[in-house]
Amino acid sequence: MNNPRILAALGDPLTIAIAASVGLLIVGEILSPGFAQGSQIVRLLTIAAILGIVAAGQNLVILGGREGIDLSVGSMISLGAVLAGNMMDGQNSGILPALLIAGGIPFLIGLVNGIGVTFVRIPPLVMTLGMTAVIQGGLVVYSQGVPSGAAAPLLSAFINQPLILGIPGILFVWVAIALAMVFVLRRTAFGFAVYAIGSNERAATLVGLPVPLIRVLIYGLSGLFAGLAGVCVIGYTGTSFISVGDQYVLPSVIAVVIGGTSLAGGAGGYLGTMAGAVALTILQSVLITLNLEVWARQVIFGVTLLALMLLYGRQKKLRV
Amino acid sequence: MTNALEAVGITKIFGAVRALTEGRLTVGKGEIHALMGANGCGKSTLCKIVAGAVAPTSGTVGMDGHDVRFRNPREAERAGVALFYQELSLIPQLSVADNIFLGRELKSGLFADRKAMNRRAAELIGLFDGVSGQGLTVDAIVGTLPPDQRQIVEILKVFAQDAKIMIMDEATAALDGRQSQRFFEILKAKKAEGVSTIMISHRLDEVFAVCDRITVMRNGATITELDTAATTRKAVVHDMVGEVRAAAPKSAGLSTDRPSLVVKAARNASLRDVSFETYPGEILGLAGLQGQGQSALLKSLFGSEPLTSGDIGFEGKSLAIRKPSDAVMNGFAYVSGDRGRDASFQGRSIFENIVAALAVRNRLRIIRPAALKPQVSKVAADLKTKFAGLDMPIGTLSGGNQQKIFIARWLATAPKLLLLDDPTKGIDLGAKADLFALMRSQADAGATILFYSSEDSEILDYADRVLVFNGGSISAELKGDAMTSVNMTRAAYGDAA
Amino acid sequence: MTMFNLLRRQPWVITVLVFLILVTVNTVLQPSFVEPSVMQSNLATFLPLILVAIGQTYVILAGDIDLSVGSIVALVNVVTVTVIAALGGTLGAVFGGMAAGFVTGIACGLINGFFISGLRFQPIVTTFATGIIFAGLAIWVLPQAGLPVPDAYWMTYTESVLGIPVVAWVLIAGVVFTLVVSRLPFLTRLTAVGGNRTGAFQTGLSLGGLRIGAYVISGAFASFAALCLTGETASGDPLLGASLALSSISAVVLGGTALAGGFGNATGSVVGALVLGMIGNVIFFAGLPFEYQTLVQGLIVLAALAGGVFVTRR
Repeated sequence: MNNPRILAALGDPLTIAIAASVGLLIVGEILSPGFAQGSQIVRLLTIAAILGIVAAGQNLVILGGREGIDLSVGSMISLGAVLAGNMMDGQNSGILPALLIAGGIPFLIGLVNGIGVTFVRIPPLVMTLGMTAVIQGGLVVYSQGVPSGAAAPLLSAFINQPLILGIPGILFVWVAIALAMVFVLRRTAFGFAVYAIGSNERAATLVGLPVPLIRVLIYGLSGLFAGLAGVCVIGYTGTSFISVGDQYVLPSVIAVVIGGTSLAGGAGGYLGTMAGAVALTILQSVLITLNLEVWARQVIFGVTLLALMLLYGRQKKLRV
Repeated sequence: MTNALEAVGITKIFGAVRALTEGRLTVGKGEIHALMGANGCGKSTLCKIVAGAVAPTSGTVGMDGHDVRFRNPREAERAGVALFYQELSLIPQLSVADNIFLGRELKSGLFADRKAMNRRAAELIGLFDGVSGQGLTVDAIVGTLPPDQRQIVEILKVFAQDAKIMIMDEATAALDGRQSQRFFEILKAKKAEGVSTIMISHRLDEVFAVCDRITVMRNGATITELDTAATTRKAVVHDMVGEVRAAAPKSAGLSTDRPSLVVKAARNASLRDVSFETYPGEILGLAGLQGQGQSALLKSLFGSEPLTSGDIGFEGKSLAIRKPSDAVMNGFAYVSGDRGRDASFQGRSIFENIVAALAVRNRLRIIRPAALKPQVSKVAADLKTKFAGLDMPIGTLSGGNQQKIFIARWLATAPKLLLLDDPTKGIDLGAKADLFALMRSQADAGATILFYSSEDSEILDYADRVLVFNGGSISAELKGDAMTSVNMTRAAYGDAA
Repeated sequence: MTMFNLLRRQPWVITVLVFLILVTVNTVLQPSFVEPSVMQSNLATFLPLILVAIGQTYVILAGDIDLSVGSIVALVNVVTVTVIAALGGTLGAVFGGMAAGFVTGIACGLINGFFISGLRFQPIVTTFATGIIFAGLAIWVLPQAGLPVPDAYWMTYTESVLGIPVVAWVLIAGVVFTLVVSRLPFLTRLTAVGGNRTGAFQTGLSLGGLRIGAYVISGAFASFAALCLTGETASGDPLLGASLALSSISAVVLGGTALAGGFGNATGSVVGALVLGMIGNVIFFAGLPFEYQTLVQGLIVLAALAGGVFVTRR
C-alpha cells in the first residue's frame, strides 16, 4: 500500500468522484431498495449525460482561467431547447436544422460573452449573468410567453429508449463528446493553449499564443455545448419552457470542480468532469430519495462549493 | 554622541541563501549616508531589515543608543524610520494629498481633515517649487502624473512622516537634474534638523556631491566605511569590486561585417535613445545596476513592452514588433529570470512546458506527443536536464532544471536571436555552468545572444562585448581590454570610463 | 481636455444627464409622474435597489464584489416577518423583528468577509456560494410567501413625517450616510485597497479589516433594503431580490465606480440605481409590448455595464 503511484491515484479527484458515485449508489440502495438496479442506473446516466454535455463547455471556460465561469449556460440551454422544439415541431425531418440552429445561435452568443470578458474586461461572472438576463428577455419575446414546439419522436426515442444493449443513444453521444474533448485537450494546439492561458496567461502571451482569440472561442464553445444540451433536454422531456435550463447552472460548475478542475484554471480535464456529473446526479437523486427539502439541497450545494473553494480556489498571500 | 542608527553583525538567511553574512551600518545623527555596492551585495536586504520589512536572522539594530526589534514596517515607522518605495506604494486613482497621507490621515474628530491635509500637502509640494513642472497640485490624480512627478509624490510621502531616519532607495531615478538638485538641498536642510538619510543611488556623482559618509558592501558583508571627503571615486569603486577582474579571454574571429540586430534610437517609458548593433555569433552582455533599462530593452525587442519610437532591424529587414508573437515568428526567443511569473505553466507537464513555443513557431494544429517527444527529450538532454519523465509536472523540478526546461522550450524552435533576461537568477552553480556552455554553443552555431545578468562576473566571463546601462541609456560600451570589473562598476554608476 | 477624458474622471456626469433625460421622457409619457403620490410610489419601488447599490459600492471600491446581496435581502425579509409573528405582532415585536433582520444582514456580511479576507477565497465564487446558502436558509425560515406584517409597519412606511414621505427620509438618510463616509479616512483607505492592493499593503493599511468592513456595510444596506421591501410588500417572501445582485452591480457601474475597484463613490451609485429604475418606468410607459420589456431592460443593463467598465477602466 505504500506504492506512491497507488497513493497518488487514491488522492486523484477522478478516483474520488468515481468512489463517491459508487458509495452514493450503495447509500441509495440501502435507503430505497432498487435504487441501484440496472434500469435505474441507465436513467441516472441519461440525466448525467445532459449535465455532462453542459459541463464540457463549463469545463473549458473554467480551465481557461482568469476567474472564468459561464452562468449563462442555463439560459442557453433554455434557448437551445425552445429553438429546437420550434424547429422540430414533432417532425423527425426537423432534427438536423434543430441541431444547427440550437447549437449555432448559442455559439454566437457565447462569442459575445467572450468578447465582453476578453476585450471589455467585464468579469466573466458578471458578463454571463448579464447575458442571462438578455437571453431570458429574448426568450420571452420569441415564445410570447407560451410554450410551443415539440420534440421529434426519433429524438425522444434516441434519448429515452434503449438503442443497443439496453443503452440509449444519448449515452453513446456522450462518450463521443468525451472522446472529442479528451482529444482536443490532450492532442491539439487549441487544447494545449487552453491549459496554458489558464495556468499562466502572461507566460502564454510570452510564447506567442493568441490569448484573446482562444478565450473568446472558449466562451463560444460553452454556448455551443449548452445549446446542444438544450436539444437533449427537449428530447428528454418532450416539451420545453423558457426556464428549463436554470437548474443546470450550478451543477455544471460543481461537476467541473468535483472532477478536479481548478477554479483558478489551468488544471483538470474532462474525464474528471464526467465522473463529477455522475456523482452529482446520483447525489441529487439520493437527496430526493431522502425527501430532503429544497432549502436543504440548496444549502448542501452551497456548502459543497465553499468546501471545494477551500481545496482549489484560494488566492495568494501578499508579501512586502 | 550616540548614533542615529547602529546595525551590527546583521545576518539574513533566506532558505539556503545567505543574503547577508556580516552587515554593518552606522549612521550619525543628521548625516547623509550612502550605501553602495554591486547588485546582490545585500544593500536592499539591509535596508529592509532597518525598516522592519524583513526580520534579521541575527544581529542587533540600535536607534539613538537603544536596541530595537521591529516586527513589521508599522513599528519601524512609529520609531521614526521611513522607507521610500520605488513608486510601488502609490495608489494611481487617488489624489496627491490622499496618497501622501494614506494610512496617517490628519483628522478633526472622526473626519479626515481635508483642509489641513491639503495645506500640509501644498507645503510639501512647495518644497519642489519651480522644478516640479506643471500640474503637480494637491488634488491631481497620481495616475495621470508623469513618472518624475509620481516619484516626487513618493518622496513627499516619506517627508510627510517627519521621520528621524529616511531610507531613500534610488529616490532620484526618475528625477531630472534640477529636481535631484532640489531633492538634495531638502535633504541637507533636513540634516540641520537632525534627520538622517540613508541613500542608495546609481549615480556616483550624487554620492560624492551630497553624502557625508559611505558604507560599501560586497557579497553580503560590509567591507568598509569611508568619509566622503577623505576618499576618491576610484577607491570606492575598488572597494565595491574587490579583486579587480578582467574579462575571460574570448575566442576571436567574430565576423563584424554584417550586423544581425540593429537597434536605432529605441525609446519607451524605460529606455532613452538606445542604439547599438550586434553580430551573428556574438554574446552581447547588458550590464549596469538593476532596472536601468537592460530588462526593458529585452522586453521591448520581444514585444512585451513595445517601443514607442525607434527602429529594430534584424538580418537586414526592418521589423515592427508590437507583440510577442511577432517576435516569435521572426525567430526571437526570450528567457526571463522570473520563471514563475513569465515562463512557468505551473501544474502542467514538462512536455507541455517545452512544446508551447514550438507549437506557435511551427503553427502546429495537432500535437502528437509520440512524434515530438524524441525531439523534445534530445533538447532537454543536451542541456543536462535531470527529470524523471516528460509527463511529470514542471513543479517537481528544481529551479535550475526548470530554467533549463524554459530554455529548451526556445531551443526547440531553433531561435536566431536569444534574449536572456537575468536567466541565472536563483539557480545553482552546476546549472549555471551548463547554461553558459549552451549559450556559447548556440552563438557558435550562428545565433545572436543578448544577455543581461544582475551578476557582473557572469557578464565578464561570458560576454564578448558589454553595453553598460545607466538611467535608461547606454553609458559605456566595453570590449577587449576595457572589459574590467572596475570599468563596469564605474559605468554602472554613471561615471564614464 | 477631451470629452473622453472628462468622462473618465467624472463618469457619473453622463449618468446624471441620462437621469434628467429619462425624467423628462417619463413626464411626457406619463404626465402624472410629477405628482407627489406617484413620485412617492416610484421612490418606494426604487429604494431597495438604491440601498443595496450603496452597500455594493463599498465592496466594489475595495476591488471585491458581493453577489449574495439579493439572498441577504430575502433572508432578512423572512427573518424579520417571522420574528415579528413569533413575538406576537405588537409594536415591540416589530422593532424586535427589524433588529433580528438587521443582525442577520450584518452576520451575512461578516461571513462573506471572513471567507474572502480571512481565508483568501475568490470573492466572486464565494459570494455566489454564500448567496445560494443564504437563499436556502431563507426558504428554510419561510418556505412559502406570506406571513403579513402588522398594519403599523407598512402604514408607517407609506406615511409622511414632517411633510416628507418616510421613503424620502430613508433616501435622505442613505445619501447622508454616503456623504459622511466620504469624509472618513476609511473611504480613502478602502479605495486604496481596490486601487493598488500591494501599495496599500506596503503603506501599512490593514487590508483584512477594511475588506471585511466593506462586506459588513454591504450586509447592513441589504438589511435596510429588505426592511423597506417588507414595508412595500407587507409580508415575507423567500424568493425576493433574486435580480438585485446584478442590478446593484449595474447601478454601481452606472454611477461611475470602476468595477475593478479603486475609483468611484456611493452617491453616484444612487443616481445609477435611479437611472435603472427609470429605464424600467420609461419602457413601461413607452407602450412597448410587455414581452419586450425584460429583453430591452437586459440589453440596456448589459450595454451600460460594458460602457461603464470601458470608461472607468484604467
